[in-house]
Amino acid sequence: MIEKAPPRWLEGMLLHCLAARDRETISGDLLEEYREEQVPRFGSLRANVWYLCQTLSLVSVWDLLGPALKMPLMGISVFTAAAGVWLAVMENILQHTGYAGRTVIAACMALQGVATLLVPMLDGRAIFRALLAAGAVALGLCGAAAVERIMEGPHFEGFVLLIGCVLVTQGLLTVVVVFRPRHGKML
Amino acid sequence: MRPDIGGLTAAFFNAYNVCIVPELLGAFEQAVLLTVWRLAEEAYGRAILRGVQSALNRQVAAGAVYATLDRLEQKSFIDSHVEEGTPVRAGRLRRYYRLTAAGIKAMNESKAALEQMWGGTKWPLESKA
Repeated sequence: MIEKAPPRWLEGMLLHCLAARDRETISGDLLEEYREEQVPRFGSLRANVWYLCQTLSLVSVWDLLGPALKMPLMGISVFTAAAGVWLAVMENILQHTGYAGRTVIAACMALQGVATLLVPMLDGRAIFRALLAAGAVALGLCGAAAVERIMEGPHFEGFVLLIGCVLVTQGLLTVVVVFRPRHGKML
Repeated sequence: MRPDIGGLTAAFFNAYNVCIVPELLGAFEQAVLLTVWRLAEEAYGRAILRGVQSALNRQVAAGAVYATLDRLEQKSFIDSHVEEGTPVRAGRLRRYYRLTAAGIKAMNESKAALEQMWGGTKWPLESKA
């Protein structure tokens, strides 16, 4: 006899969104309940609706969005790190007034980019996540300030506008991807 | 892990007459912990879900139960281990939960606090109007 099973796409969605630790155990619990209780008692259709409801209770928008945003965030982090190094080097070559302060800011940008790239390894550490959150907010504000200055200033500098937009995006993405609610896969 | 307030810390609080209030569990957390306690060796995800539904006499979303189990495990009120799955669940592992000493203490404190709060109050409450 072929055992009844929930729709494959639905089970796939559940497995995709569960943390590795819970993937087998929770999906197994739901499958057991589906086969032993829901299908015999209510039939396949209602059992599928039940399975869908349970899946939705375990899955959040963040779980679905997070993995999709992971690659863009990693790409942007590489860009931020490279841009930070480039800005720091240029400031030290040109040595305009106040270059030392701007060099420090550029170095912080590069550090934040590198730190975000380390998220998959250090995600579980609360102190790292807190520092990353503070960095992401600072980075976003820094980017927003740069964009505002370029838009209102007399000289338009395309690369500053680009870097500013990237910093704002990275700040937002970091907060969304790294600080999702529990029960989803971490980055 | 919940910090154990004792020794010097307790002496400090007592000296300054600060009341140490135990962390009280929510009703849903109590239902989950009580179900884990009642199921004993059989306390795994599905059984807990059914037990909580039975205890609360209503349908409960699996997500709510698993999130609570996760939170309670983080607070060290329960611990868990996995065992082999059965064919009906396609051999997928089962995670079994067990109350820890901290969990039992928290449950006892919550029950005692509720009883103290209700002590001397006639139940069920009636409108005074």
